[in-house]
Amino acid sequence: MSTRTLDLPAAKSLFASPFEGPGLRLIAAAMVVFNGFFPALWILLTSLKGEAELVSKPITYWPANATLHNYIQAFTDQPLLRYLGNSFWVALLATVSSLIVSALAAYAIARLNLKHRQLILTAIVASSMFPLVTLLVPIFETMRSLGLLNTYIALVLPYTVLNLPVCTLVLVSFFQSIPKDLENAAMIDGCTRMGALVRVVLPLAAPGVFTAGILAFVNSWDEFLLALSLNSSATMRTLPVGITLYQGEFTFPWPIISAALIVAIVPVAVLIAIFQERVVGGLTQGGLKG
Amino acid sequence: MNAPSTWDRIRDPSEKTLAVLLLAPAFLLLALIVVYPIGKLIWNSFHDLRLSGGTGAVKFIGIQNYIDVAHDKDFWNAAKNTLLFTVITVPGALVVGLGLAMLANLPFKRRWPVRLALLLPWALPLSFVGLIFAWFFHTEYGVVNDVARRLGNAHQTMWLLSPGYAFAAICFAIIWKTSSFMALILLAGLQMIPRTLYEAAEVDGASKWQQFWQITVPMLMPSIIVALIFRTITALQTFDIPVTMTHGGPGNATQTLAMLIHATTIDYLDVGYGSTLAVFMFALSLCVTAVYLRRIGRE
Repeated sequence: MSTRTLDLPAAKSLFASPFEGPGLRLIAAAMVVFNGFFPALWILLTSLKGEAELVSKPITYWPANATLHNYIQAFTDQPLLRYLGNSFWVALLATVSSLIVSALAAYAIARLNLKHRQLILTAIVASSMFPLVTLLVPIFETMRSLGLLNTYIALVLPYTVLNLPVCTLVLVSFFQSIPKDLENAAMIDGCTRMGALVRVVLPLAAPGVFTAGILAFVNSWDEFLLALSLNSSATMRTLPVGITLYQGEFTFPWPIISAALIVAIVPVAVLIAIFQERVVGGLTQGGLKG
Repeated sequence: MNAPSTWDRIRDPSEKTLAVLLLAPAFLLLALIVVYPIGKLIWNSFHDLRLSGGTGAVKFIGIQNYIDVAHDKDFWNAAKNTLLFTVITVPGALVVGLGLAMLANLPFKRRWPVRLALLLPWALPLSFVGLIFAWFFHTEYGVVNDVARRLGNAHQTMWLLSPGYAFAAICFAIIWKTSSFMALILLAGLQMIPRTLYEAAEVDGASKWQQFWQITVPMLMPSIIVALIFRTITALQTFDIPVTMTHGGPGNATQTLAMLIHATTIDYLDVGYGSTLAVFMFALSLCVTAVYLRRIGRE
């Protein structure tokens, strides 16, 4: 890249930015990377410190005597494994149910001869945009009367609604990108419409389904308010709620909280690290989350 | 020719039947989780509905709850805090996000570290972010005060224990958390701007500053507006970060509407009054949604 810039002075104008040399580009990259990672990095360093080092002043940035003791504490002070399991199952079930519901709706919107296509899509997107907190009480009442409080279903149902806009938008655009002729050919060869959907369209839309699935998983994994309100029993808490319970009324065992946070961050960090291009693509296509 | 059997009709439904079948799950779910709750919410708001204490009986009380809300200091305080968080963190996240997007748009050889650095804050649960920044702003052992001390400010600011500072600390955490999502959306917008525009501007002698205001900003406007609308809707629901950083304190200096609704209904079980509060918040977010829908309608 740098040699080309030397050969062609005009290439300078390609980027409307004051950061032009490779050195300055490195600084720019370092700034973005630092901004993204410094909180997680600080939590990681804190999690390796012993109690004595934590309360020594001035604070140390690099742990002098690194210990993994806090990680053991994190699993014994609170049922962290249970929280991880709950979060995993809730997020997984919510993802599957979001994908089924939104794939069906998206197929109808993208492919069938609907009169009010745009209106239906807008209705789905807009009605899921209402703040969940305002609907918290009626949802709480509904789940209580159905006897669903402190079950996975209590969270999976509203999370499916939460994921509906993003998943539907991503899938509609994927379905629209699959040539209709392929489907027609399958139907001429004797497939029924449903057969064509299952055997031709869904396999081709697999990347879209996958992208929507990751977004749905992260959205569900992160949710706090409903998890706090609907699943409050100790055995049914999800990670974002459980992680706030290490603090006592007057005590904040920061190294243990930090260790628990690191354990909780790693699974999702790995997931997005592996699939980052898909995640970015999906977010910018149907990006609805703040 | 035989009339199609029931089995055939199930296997190969008409276009119309199929549409109804495919859309049914989504709309049933929306009915259960959104439409019915909205109706129930409005019904609740006209009733005295306390699940603990009180008589336990449901009593129709007309607009009494609405009158009470209008005179409720806690409501106005929470409404003020919510709006303040919104007007500070939404533009804040936009400015920081635009900066990050422009840095991330440079032609790096390896894109993944930058991309991952933008994705991580987006993927972190808000409650984690609240806890992490509570630790950052810790009076005794927090990084923020340590950096201030090293820069020569010996005074230890009690960040989360004084109203103004607590508010600022929460804004900082929210902006950090939300700006990377903003950056991702804006980055996609930046990459759509044709380079020839900048080349032409360069030839015409436009400065970088002029290029930014006359090319980048106008071309990005559609992405900016969409990002702003969604950010505003989530900002009005601010809950997780203040809960984990300050519990709304000191006093109720950082309590938001969402926190007040949650406390009134889930903690104090005053469902009638809590629902009335929620109706107010619902109306507020409806305005923002309306702006969004008008925008979609125009496209």
